[in-house]
Amino acid sequence: MPANTLMINGKDVEVLQGESLLDACTKIGINIPTACHDSRLEAYGGCRTCLVDLDGAPRPVPACKTFTSPGMKVETSGVVLDTVRTTVDEMLACSSRAAIETWTDANRFIGYDPAQCIMCDRCVRYCDEIMQCNALEHVGQGSEAFIQPTQGESFLDTSCELCGGCVGTCPTEALYSKQSLEVFDKQSGEAPTTTRTVCNYCGVGCIIDIETQGNTVIDIDAQTGVGPNDGHLCSKGRFAWQFINHPDRLTSPLIRNYDNGELEETSWENALAVAAQKLSAVKQQYGADGIAFLASSRCTNEDVYALQKLARSVIGTNSVHSCAAT
Amino acid sequence: MTNSIAEIENSECMLVVGSNTTDAHPVLALRMKKALRNGAKLLVVDPRKTWLAERADVHLQIKPGTDIPLMNAIAHVIISEDLHDKQYVETLSEGFEEMSEAAAEWPVERAAEICEVSANDIRRAARIYAGYKHAGIYYTLGITEHVCGVDNVRSLSNLAIITGHIGHEATGVNPLRGQNNVQGCNDMGNNPVYFPGYQEVADAAVTEKFSQAWGSKLSQTPGLRLDQMLDGMHDDSVKALFVMGEDPVLSEPNAKHVHVGFKKIDVLISQDIFLNETARLYADVVFPATCFAEKEGTFTNSERRVQRVRKAVDAPGQARPDIQIIFDLAKQLGHDWGEAQPSKVWDEFARLSPQFSGINYERIEDEGIQWPCPDVSHPGTKILHEGAPIRGKGKLYPLDHIKPWEEADDEYPLTLSTGRTLYHYNSATQTLRNEGHREKEPECFFEISPDDARDLNIADKEAITVQSRRGSIVSWAKVSEKVRKGVIWMPMHYAEASANTLTGDGRDLKVGTPEYKLCAVRLHKS
Repeated sequence: MPANTLMINGKDVEVLQGESLLDACTKIGINIPTACHDSRLEAYGGCRTCLVDLDGAPRPVPACKTFTSPGMKVETSGVVLDTVRTTVDEMLACSSRAAIETWTDANRFIGYDPAQCIMCDRCVRYCDEIMQCNALEHVGQGSEAFIQPTQGESFLDTSCELCGGCVGTCPTEALYSKQSLEVFDKQSGEAPTTTRTVCNYCGVGCIIDIETQGNTVIDIDAQTGVGPNDGHLCSKGRFAWQFINHPDRLTSPLIRNYDNGELEETSWENALAVAAQKLSAVKQQYGADGIAFLASSRCTNEDVYALQKLARSVIGTNSVHSCAAT
Repeated sequence: MTNSIAEIENSECMLVVGSNTTDAHPVLALRMKKALRNGAKLLVVDPRKTWLAERADVHLQIKPGTDIPLMNAIAHVIISEDLHDKQYVETLSEGFEEMSEAAAEWPVERAAEICEVSANDIRRAARIYAGYKHAGIYYTLGITEHVCGVDNVRSLSNLAIITGHIGHEATGVNPLRGQNNVQGCNDMGNNPVYFPGYQEVADAAVTEKFSQAWGSKLSQTPGLRLDQMLDGMHDDSVKALFVMGEDPVLSEPNAKHVHVGFKKIDVLISQDIFLNETARLYADVVFPATCFAEKEGTFTNSERRVQRVRKAVDAPGQARPDIQIIFDLAKQLGHDWGEAQPSKVWDEFARLSPQFSGINYERIEDEGIQWPCPDVSHPGTKILHEGAPIRGKGKLYPLDHIKPWEEADDEYPLTLSTGRTLYHYNSATQTLRNEGHREKEPECFFEISPDDARDLNIADKEAITVQSRRGSIVSWAKVSEKVRKGVIWMPMHYAEASANTLTGDGRDLKVGTPEYKLCAVRLHKS
């Protein structure tokens, strides 16, 4: 695309044709506040937080929805703009919305707090444009407005896929994760830690941020612009993490008691010694190919590399395979 | 995948075969949804009316197991109507004549009859696929889990090659991997005929290289595939099995037969995060392992991108990282490999595997790299076969229909197919332990077409018994337009109603992949 030259805050700036003023400003390090903007959604211009002055325009214009053309002159700050932005902020933080009695929903993942809602419609647009599920709607006007599941039905009974993308795109905490709220310990005062890693479900390889407090997972989220997923997650990726701290997890090595047939707890030392002794005995009696190794494609590369090396170089067999064979 | 995930949104045409992408790969499907929004054409081949099928320009709702006749017919339309890329075929492919002769055996009408779809729809699909430059093929296990899985894949690569839809943006032949590290598990040499990095066991020089690197004389005898291991348990050639993170009595077909094998072996060692069914019943020793959030390492996604896995929490109790357990066991068996450090293990792999040598932890700290990546100055490979196929010329295969292992008949008149739902994952040890997902889909069900339901006098939500020659399951009927007449479908997630009670012994004739996608069943009210 051919480049345009325009002037932002008195400086000449080269931009691509069709780029928004918001993108142009971001590119040269000018930070313009936004609220209804999500780069993955179509430009909306609904909240007016990103207003800038455009030479020749009768009033400030939204930077997210104004597209660059040659010769434009733009100012991103000034007395009038500051006043307008303050007014816009006050309008968005419409305090009377806190009094609205809205819905509660039986689903265990997505909750809504109208007091936090600024009616930017990011959630509704995300659900329509990206998910194409149309499971959320904007109801009413002005200080009476709120967001609800389409037709006021439960998320569990509509086209909602419980992906939580609405929670992910929400710029406030109006839409929130119920699971997170349940386990987050506010009293402790301990700030959450973020660890960037890869989702453990399907093969798309979504990059996720695991939020933890102490040794407890309290949330999983993703960042726009990061990884093959660009901040999107599915229901499993975002919400199916209770298994990590689940009481069913194995916490000790087990060994079979052949007298009663039960698996019983034992020490690592003993478990490793018994396993090694049993494998050696089979190898001695039947040869290395009497032993086979089965790996999982859920494990890391390093785990499965180590396993095939164990099979080949320690035991001496090439009988190592996995569920990845399908 | 020959191509990359982000490209999908730039598609002009998508041919989605045997993949319920919005349920099984929901985030990748968002790229498809975006392409659709931008006006891309969509062709879906699936016995089920999936979300994508409902929005497709052409939905070929074929009878399960008839992919090759369909793809041959599509190839034949493309060639006979002169829609193929003659320059690509001439300069960059081989075997065109044999392939086109085999395809010509499947005129549209013949294929339409066996696939039970409209001949005109086959023609339309062929013309649309051939008519766009940025046309990609996406498939999953609906293609591979058949007796003819390998040939099914070849039937798709035939289409990509004759149209030249390979080696550039938003094209190619793209398997969508079902699990987080299917790609990596193969790359790492968890395969009886390949060492790490797809280096053949049969090659003496390769075996010598690994023997030297690992300091022990390695065997050149090819090992057993998973299906052969299960056979070996029956004929006493396999006496011990070490299982890391798998639950074969639930996940392998014809479960009753699998149990018999496990009862015969002398030693089973299991390593997992939960006490799975196989371990509970048969393990001699169980090692408690760590889940992805508790360890360092890498996963390699469908687009060949190696990405960093990082530890967020400590493992519970005495559970240890899988890699640590393997190092400990090696030491116990007299091989001290030193410290079990994931980055060192990766470096050893990369040093020995030329296509991966340029990738290290430092380089992928912020963003993953796609292999092939032969050296540290290489940026990684977004699109395979760019300019020309890696092997020089794209190989075209002459193919013919191969019947499934078990077809519906008078006694068992319905065809059962299996798959994944949006809310659960494989044997569901993780998702069924999440309250919200369990509540959303708590138990097994069978999708049945309104026609079959009427014929069998079965109402929606009615309790039914489904029987195959191997076993039976009691569950309930979900009368749904999603499945075609003659086909029922069930999710594979529920231990108490395990699909493998019903599935049979069909296996891919070349690589042994089980035919999970169809077997013959009958059903009646419970």
